Amino acid sequence: MRLFWLLLNLPLILWQQGIQTAPALKQAGLEQIAVPPEQADAWQKAGFKPVAMSSAELESRQRLLEPRVAGRANVASATRRPWIDANGWRFARNPAGKFYYDLPAGRAALAAAEAFAYNADAVLKIDPADLEEAGKMLAFLRSLPQDTWPPIADLAVVDDGSPELDEVLNLLARRNLLFRIVPDSGSQFPITIKLGTKDYPKSEAADPSAFAQKIRHQLGDEKRSLRIYGTEVVIGRLTVEGKRARVHLLNYSGREADGMRVRVRGMYGSGEARAFGHDRVTLADFVAAEGATEFTLPKMGIYAMAELTAK
Amino acid sequence: MKRRTFMQILATSPLASSIGSRHVDASDIPKYLIASEYKPAAEPGMPGPYRGQVVSVKSDRCLGEKGEQINAEVVREMMERGMRSLTGEAKTQDAWRRFFTPADVVGIKVNCGGRPWVVSSHPIVAEVVRNLLAVGLKPSQVYVYERFQNQLDTVNYAPHLPEGVTLFAAERGNRGVDNQNYDPLTYVEADFFGEDDTRSNMIRLISQRFTKIINIPNMKDHGATGATGCLKNIAYGSFSNVARTHFKGVSHTLSFVGTLAGVEPLRSRTVLQIMDGLRGVWHGGPFAPTLKYVFFPKTIMFGTDPVAIDRLLLDIIDDERKRHGAISIWDRSPQSLNNSRARDADPNVNILIREPGHVEYAAGLGLGIADLKQIKVRELEV
Repeated sequence: MRLFWLLLNLPLILWQQGIQTAPALKQAGLEQIAVPPEQADAWQKAGFKPVAMSSAELESRQRLLEPRVAGRANVASATRRPWIDANGWRFARNPAGKFYYDLPAGRAALAAAEAFAYNADAVLKIDPADLEEAGKMLAFLRSLPQDTWPPIADLAVVDDGSPELDEVLNLLARRNLLFRIVPDSGSQFPITIKLGTKDYPKSEAADPSAFAQKIRHQLGDEKRSLRIYGTEVVIGRLTVEGKRARVHLLNYSGREADGMRVRVRGMYGSGEARAFGHDRVTLADFVAAEGATEFTLPKMGIYAMAELTAK
Repeated sequence: MKRRTFMQILATSPLASSIGSRHVDASDIPKYLIASEYKPAAEPGMPGPYRGQVVSVKSDRCLGEKGEQINAEVVREMMERGMRSLTGEAKTQDAWRRFFTPADVVGIKVNCGGRPWVVSSHPIVAEVVRNLLAVGLKPSQVYVYERFQNQLDTVNYAPHLPEGVTLFAAERGNRGVDNQNYDPLTYVEADFFGEDDTRSNMIRLISQRFTKIINIPNMKDHGATGATGCLKNIAYGSFSNVARTHFKGVSHTLSFVGTLAGVEPLRSRTVLQIMDGLRGVWHGGPFAPTLKYVFFPKTIMFGTDPVAIDRLLLDIIDDERKRHGAISIWDRSPQSLNNSRARDADPNVNILIREPGHVEYAAGLGLGIADLKQIKVRELEV
């Protein structure tokens, strides 16, 4: 059953605690939750809008990683860049997919934001300790426009379903190299990655970090639609419709990003941002020149969405 | 809404095909993109009016017997003699007036990385401030700045300075997470090792508030640059995200130090170099947590040409290392490399291949004179 809030693609919290926890959920602002089927009636009588979700249904969804900085600097990386466990590449690979997170304490808000930013159908099994924070994040997400605009990509990838491609897609997303999954023929992109070809042999994909770096050089930083400066732990997603663009920014570090600079290709005349924990944020040092627009987000916690409007 | 235009310039490289004993070709130099809307002054502060000239003032009385105490009275005399000799003025105040007017807002770039033993010392910084106030600046027009607050706090200049002088650090610590105090429109962009964040931004105060800068570096060994003096202190001390130039035994400091120092308005506004060589560190630099590698040149050097002073510094550090039987700062052998804590115990270990050629490279960018035959040194004894 897909209810109204699922049509909005807000992530859904799976709540397996008993009905006695209803006051805590109400205090957290949660009314729409997934619950075990045998508890659905009780939750409905308590004034909630439950979605019955069995263990089997949950397990039929693709399980995601807990989003975080994993602290494995130098693993598959030629620099000090920290390792990030992120799921955006999975969403981009399978936009119609159904996903679920099984999250330890402290990860619910970031997971909710991550799923929202990619417009993904995701269920979050959270630690009860995260209830309040998850509620705040969902309230914040509810206040944002749902982003159904087409995502921007700078390169294409043919999905051969191989495990080698998993890490390639992961590292492309990690480096904010925006890609789109395309069929095996007819790509309009200047770069189309198909593993096993002369240009992109599978042996190269064995080192996904080096592979992503090769793609970056082929593309050229100046031609990238999205660049992020001042941090190496924020991953972005860019969507555009007509004269407007949205930049979703996910901060995996667990601490505030201070003075992060964002560069978007295209000339935009104005912009505004909403950031979780800060609400409306003025875009500082806004510059549009030489085919690109740049702005600074003075402060950002877990998630922010900036919207730009062309002149 | 603020709108400014980029002025993007590809940094030019010196034409030198060899630097020191090292052959350098174009492929060794990363591609730099410089964004700055500031035009150079008619006479940029670096190399300034005293190109190729250095005044070196030494005093055996400036330190206590074990080198731990600094004699502020002797330092004052060294400072006065140095400034008068550099400028040719008979009066100390006139010497300072050569560089500063009451309308200036002056940033004093100190070095706190070698805390506690080899830092821009309290008496020198205090004497600089005293002379600026004597010129007619108000304390509110004087800033003492460093990149990292935790380092600045440790050195604790406040008790030695008049009330109203601002102590400023751009970041809380060397963690690369505080960006708000950097100018997003003035930067150098380069990809050294495939890092995502390819920009190093200038501290906002430099581009937007200071009219002049005084550089007070120390005499220090450095694991990446061979030695760190005027050029590295003003370059790496004024921009964000610079540690990315060293990685796994390789350092891009050869070209990046001079490139940063040459970015406007830093280049034009840095008008005076005062190298604090009361103490120095000959190994393990830029740090000096203990006295183990500290030595005592008991010298202050004055000039406007950072390259000339640093060229002298390379020999000072290398000579001191030779005295202790340590490998030269020019040693490039892979056998000397050991990227671990081993360096702390063994002066024959390098953590990176050092790039003392950064001084000559900076000369090629027009920042000063690196040829020892052309450098005129006036040595004074107090």
